[in-house]
Amino acid sequence: MSFEELDHTADVLMRIRGATLSELFSDAGRAMFHVMHGDLCEDRSIVRQITLEAEDLESLLIDYLSELLFIADAESFVFCTFDVDLQGNRLSATLRGEPFDLARHTGGALIKGISYFGLEIIKEKDVYMVDIIFDI
Amino acid sequence: MLEGINKIRDLEWEVPIGYVPDMRVPGRFFLSLALAETLEEGAVRQLANVATLPGIVKHSLAMPDIHWGYGFPIGGVAAFDTVSGVISPGGVGFDINCGVRLITTPLTEADLAGKKRELIEALFSAVPTGVGTKSALRLSNKELTDIMIDGSRWAVERGFGTKGDLIRCEDEGAMPGADPEAVSAKARQRGLPQLGTLGAGNHFLEIQVAREIVNPEVARAFGVSEGQICLMIHCGSRGLGHQVATDHLRALEGALRKYNIQLPDRQLACAPIDSPEGRAYYAGMACAANYAWANRQVIMHEARKAFAQIFSIDYDEMRLVYDVAHNVAKFEHHDVNGTSMEVCVHRKGATRAFGPGAPGIPHEYAAVGQPVLIPGSMGTSSYLLHGTETAMQKTWGSTCHGAGRVMSRSKAKKSIRGRELKEDLAKEGILVRAHRDSVLAEEAPEVYKPSHEVVRVVHEAGLSGTVVRLEPLGVIKG
Repeated sequence: MSFEELDHTADVLMRIRGATLSELFSDAGRAMFHVMHGDLCEDRSIVRQITLEAEDLESLLIDYLSELLFIADAESFVFCTFDVDLQGNRLSATLRGEPFDLARHTGGALIKGISYFGLEIIKEKDVYMVDIIFDI
Repeated sequence: MLEGINKIRDLEWEVPIGYVPDMRVPGRFFLSLALAETLEEGAVRQLANVATLPGIVKHSLAMPDIHWGYGFPIGGVAAFDTVSGVISPGGVGFDINCGVRLITTPLTEADLAGKKRELIEALFSAVPTGVGTKSALRLSNKELTDIMIDGSRWAVERGFGTKGDLIRCEDEGAMPGADPEAVSAKARQRGLPQLGTLGAGNHFLEIQVAREIVNPEVARAFGVSEGQICLMIHCGSRGLGHQVATDHLRALEGALRKYNIQLPDRQLACAPIDSPEGRAYYAGMACAANYAWANRQVIMHEARKAFAQIFSIDYDEMRLVYDVAHNVAKFEHHDVNGTSMEVCVHRKGATRAFGPGAPGIPHEYAAVGQPVLIPGSMGTSSYLLHGTETAMQKTWGSTCHGAGRVMSRSKAKKSIRGRELKEDLAKEGILVRAHRDSVLAEEAPEVYKPSHEVVRVVHEAGLSGTVVRLEPLGVIKG
């Protein structure tokens, strides 16, 4: 549904909202790549699939974002679409994007890790929300 | 000063037990009233949270560059009993052994005249910088294993530097206890193509001039003289270190129940030092720390080559003054109530500042204490200081690590334009080079506390002594 950057002195704090949990996870991925590379990303036939399972949704969210960071760094990819399917605490996701391109993708912030600090998925009315601190 | 905090003496404050529930020891931090104006309550709460961890000894500490982080506050220092205490990745951070080194050159500002732009471009092309850039080095898995054990020593043996460099490096560039078995295949995969790269964010290479010698006797011991051109390197363990932190944080978080540890913040996930999970984290962290030392050694080597080529000076004329880590956990012996005790000291955004005669510092610096390097923000002064006996007594031989942020990146991006900032700095004679000017806004001087005030506080509180003030002349931003 959406993400917005909130004030945080040292790192990047993003507030993510989603009508469903799958959407929340999908937008958390979008938010992370927005921090790193802005919005310069197109679907250019790079596809990766991941499946993960964790003991709770918060840990699953951290595992999912950490996995995206790993793939992006290890394989030099930038992702722009995130089709997430959540069944309980089990996630499968299809990620689409393009190879990292020095001319188009530099200038963002390098994310070092996803912080557990203050990370809690809450539901307000019909909207899921989570605040995530990205260490940069 | 914030409510609920007690004054111990000038510049020294106490966070009493009870500030948050379950504190085992009080908190202590060092701050001037001027810096207190920007102190965040969240940072003090994090300092207090650290005081709830099992086996913490004496105080949960913070240096004057304290600010709100995750887990420990940035600027946080804490020591844990090796028998009853814990080790926590939240007390080190994701960028394991992020650190700083300083080299001198035989050059003066006059030598740079007309050649500064050429030098900056040469450094920019010699050292890969920014998000997503890769090293020119092609490492094998065996070489990566050796790097994780031998750190800077591996680099020097491969010709990236001299033997003298190793002595002038915290832990001689390789901390003990590194076990590559504790490093995942993912971390290895990220580490293979990144040795010798700067990374992004607040990492930099900076050409500086030793503008003011504050303590001539110690400056002589450190080999720095007025007007001398120096180079400062600030970076860490890159993707390998980030992955080691991520992997072990997850493992420790999953083991909290096993050890019946209750935490106010999951980012403080920890395990007993002497447990399989605690030992594995230490062993992996040491590998990442050693990778970071090799990384700074390789970057320094490339920078020296660029200087040598442009100015026709000898490689050996560019002497390493020292290399410090400011995100690390280490086993050290300290005096506790008159008895020497082994503790695991966590420094997260804090620098070791061992005083005269302390073990582990180079023989040539033994009389004056170890060199301490405090980078300023882009465009402001950096400082060379020396460790003190007071730091040994009060802060486990620790001091600040930098200026400390006061403005968020989002606010900075809204209020500061990278290109204008670059032009303003150029008018002051400071040339800045990055892949894109837009990244400069987030690291503008006004988003940081003034480095001179942070350094004044550690100097006056006795945690370290100012030796040299260095002014920037050119910056390569990651």
